[in-house]
Amino acid sequence: MEYLFTLPYLLLEPPNLKMKKPSWLQQPSAMTMYALVLLSYFMVTGGIIYDVIIEPPSVGSTTDEHGHSRPVAFLPYRVNGQYIMEGLASSFLFTLGGLGFIILDHTHNPTTPKLNRILLIAVGFLCIIVSFIACWVFMRMKLPGYLRA
Amino acid sequence: MKKSSSSFSGGWKSLIVFTVLLLAWLCGFASRLFAVIRFESIIHEFDPWFNYRATAYMVEHGFYNFLNWFDERAWYPLGRIVGGTVYPGLMITSGSIHYVLHLLNIPIHIRDICVFLAPIFSGLTAISTYLLTKELWNTGAGLFAACFIAIVPGYISRSVAGSYDNEGIAIFALQFTYYLWVKSVKTGSVFWASLTALSYFYMVSAWGGYVFIINLIPLHVCTLLLMGRYSNRLFTSYTVFCILGLLFSMQIPFVGFQPIRTSEHMAALGAFILILVIGGLKHMQSILSKAEFKYFFIVTSLVAAGTVFFGVVVLTYAGVIAPWSGRFYSLWDTGYAKIHIPIIASVSEHQPTTWFSFFFDLHILVTTFPVGLWYCIKNVNDERVFVVLYALSAVYFAGVMVRLMLTLTPVVCILSGIAFSRLLEIFLKDEETPSNGDSDSEQETSPSRTLYDKAGKLRKMKHEQIKETEGLGANVRSFIIVGVLAMLLMFAVHCTWVTSNAYSSPSIVLSTYSQDGSRQILDDFREAYYWLSQNTDSDARVMSWWDYGYQIAGMANRTTLVDNNTWNNSHIALVGKAMSSTEPKAYEIMKSLDVDYVLVIFGGVIGYSGDDINKFLWMVRIAEGEHPKDIRESDYFTDKGEFRVDAEGSPVLLNCLMYKLSYYRFGELQLDFRSPAGYDRTRNVVIGNKDFDLTYLEEAYTTEHWLVRVYRVKKEDEFNRPRIPVSKRKIRPSDVFISKKTSRRKKGLIKNRPVVVKGKRPVKS
Repeated sequence: MEYLFTLPYLLLEPPNLKMKKPSWLQQPSAMTMYALVLLSYFMVTGGIIYDVIIEPPSVGSTTDEHGHSRPVAFLPYRVNGQYIMEGLASSFLFTLGGLGFIILDHTHNPTTPKLNRILLIAVGFLCIIVSFIACWVFMRMKLPGYLRA
Repeated sequence: MKKSSSSFSGGWKSLIVFTVLLLAWLCGFASRLFAVIRFESIIHEFDPWFNYRATAYMVEHGFYNFLNWFDERAWYPLGRIVGGTVYPGLMITSGSIHYVLHLLNIPIHIRDICVFLAPIFSGLTAISTYLLTKELWNTGAGLFAACFIAIVPGYISRSVAGSYDNEGIAIFALQFTYYLWVKSVKTGSVFWASLTALSYFYMVSAWGGYVFIINLIPLHVCTLLLMGRYSNRLFTSYTVFCILGLLFSMQIPFVGFQPIRTSEHMAALGAFILILVIGGLKHMQSILSKAEFKYFFIVTSLVAAGTVFFGVVVLTYAGVIAPWSGRFYSLWDTGYAKIHIPIIASVSEHQPTTWFSFFFDLHILVTTFPVGLWYCIKNVNDERVFVVLYALSAVYFAGVMVRLMLTLTPVVCILSGIAFSRLLEIFLKDEETPSNGDSDSEQETSPSRTLYDKAGKLRKMKHEQIKETEGLGANVRSFIIVGVLAMLLMFAVHCTWVTSNAYSSPSIVLSTYSQDGSRQILDDFREAYYWLSQNTDSDARVMSWWDYGYQIAGMANRTTLVDNNTWNNSHIALVGKAMSSTEPKAYEIMKSLDVDYVLVIFGGVIGYSGDDINKFLWMVRIAEGEHPKDIRESDYFTDKGEFRVDAEGSPVLLNCLMYKLSYYRFGELQLDFRSPAGYDRTRNVVIGNKDFDLTYLEEAYTTEHWLVRVYRVKKEDEFNRPRIPVSKRKIRPSDVFISKKTSRRKKGLIKNRPVVVKGKRPVKS
């Protein structure tokens, strides 16, 4: 059986190479992976793919009754349309809310002192509430009849 | 929302699980009934009409006749082999429910089964989501996930009562297949792997989205191999699943030999070979010495890699393996569809997703999704790798196409269920003082420890919690609990609002609110289809844009030229060309296609934005793709590059068939006193070309709100006669000669035989 494996090496001489696995090539840690995942999630929920394909303006503009053009951040009434900035703003809020939940989870780490723990809870909860309410406001701007019968 | 983690003994626990799941099923069922209550038990939209028609055919004629059904009423003059071009799972499911109910002497119409199938299956989806989440995390997270999936708008959008479509049952099949796969990876038993393959078979029979499964599971296997998590359990389950699954999927006539021929399935075969090679290597490693194994490893891996690579290249080149299909390309190269396949890009649900859709369909879950992902990545094991991969691929696909929000929604529910259950575990569980809560928390963590093989971390967490009880006041904790529950309450409110306002319109019956708040029903579509079915010949051919093909076939029972099964691009382009050419040119096309009636949808009177003028640019684009010499998109824009139908619009547009059919005699109509005649409410302009007459067509029927307009195509002898003024018209006596012969007088003679004088008109007496 041994001849079977050594058969090619009767003809070929294996070169004396020393291949070292490069030091930077290693299985990335869980948190690096998660950071990458969160970043891509941030981009996808912000509609980056939409921005690439449709190429909307970053901020819209409208003309008011005096003839001045005013910037408009949100493209109202259009469910399938957005400006680049509104997408990024709202996906930032989504991510902020997610981070708030993660901070809340960190509060049960036994080594944190009590004050820090209270602070963490406050910050985390604030993140969630802020993102929730801001998303609500965004929905209202986008769809003025939101949650009204 | 219901909380789940009970701290009672086994019987109480299963009772609570049962109750919560039952309530989730009931809630999910009830919240999908808005459309039935508001309107009636009716099939919605476009595709469901075909599915309903096919189901009715199957129930009437039997399964084998259905498989051999050649539908000559679609795609005139080509026809469609229905049995070989549908995923029959949906029809078989509702057909067998119908069969069983009739065996039990419960006489229920097949339409009602079709209408209520998707809401009923949503309950099964909730249960399979519960099972999957329970495998991944614990029972509490599972119950949360089941409650979320029961009411989340992203799934309701495809499963309201009346939307009788493949997705309604396919999401259940998807979740159940994943549950069985996770189970079989955990146990490594042939039994579970075979069940996975069976469930995969059901999924293949139900929806084209099965490609997602057959690529995700190999991806899971490869990732596990890369992470060095190879095990015999994985080897057993994947090899069994791969072989059985491929064999099963080839039993569906529509799929046929695709599993071994198309590139979409190559990942599965590649992973199969890979896991065999690695399994073989592991085996050799156990019998060979280290040095021998090194040689063996290098030689085999080089040979194997080379063979596989060249094999695939040669087979693709030789045409044995079909390259990726266009729809699949458009998922990776996002600009592909826009340039190459306008027919895919024209469908609104194939548009890329905006942030709004994410929040609208998922609400609070969109923020808790990364949290659940964080827990899964932090405490990783074999099956959590799976859910992470599922989440990542689904997020990407959902970003590319609005429609694929549907595949994202279940995984979002799973991960959010995990996130919320962890949050409540931290903040709710150790409410009591440590001495009191000792026995409780002991029992609580023990079931999850049995479910989940890495108990070390959980136990650590319990110690932390006991310490934490001293550190955190009950006030802070209850404050947060109340806040989170309020948010879940808002989630439920949001879901109901979205379901009621956005996803419950049947779209063949429109409703508007008048100023005093009462609801008005616009039933123009059914009015027109009913008119067609009553007033036209039974073999009349109706030309319309492809969106309405299934509805015409289903409701009016007339032959259509193109329909929503957009398999023949050139045929659709021909119809698009007819719609966008001038009347004489369009007549040539219509004559060659034997068209008897033309149907257009016009929303200018009521301000309905989904009408044919708004879809018109897609007709032009699709026609341009096939006939670039005759149709150019730029001709239909003004010099400034705008698409407008008022006086400044391009003359090509103002004279094309679609414009004329939509606005025929619209210039005479004054809708109210404030606006001039011919004011289009959808586009808010006065139309540009008011005064025109139709030569080759005549108006046959226009519905009450002008929403549907039907035109009859004149026969050739009807329009090319010169017009004679009324005063010069002479009435010719009829040529009908009534014989006065009786059986006795066989012979007769001709009375008043006209004498033809050459060179003169024959003058009648």
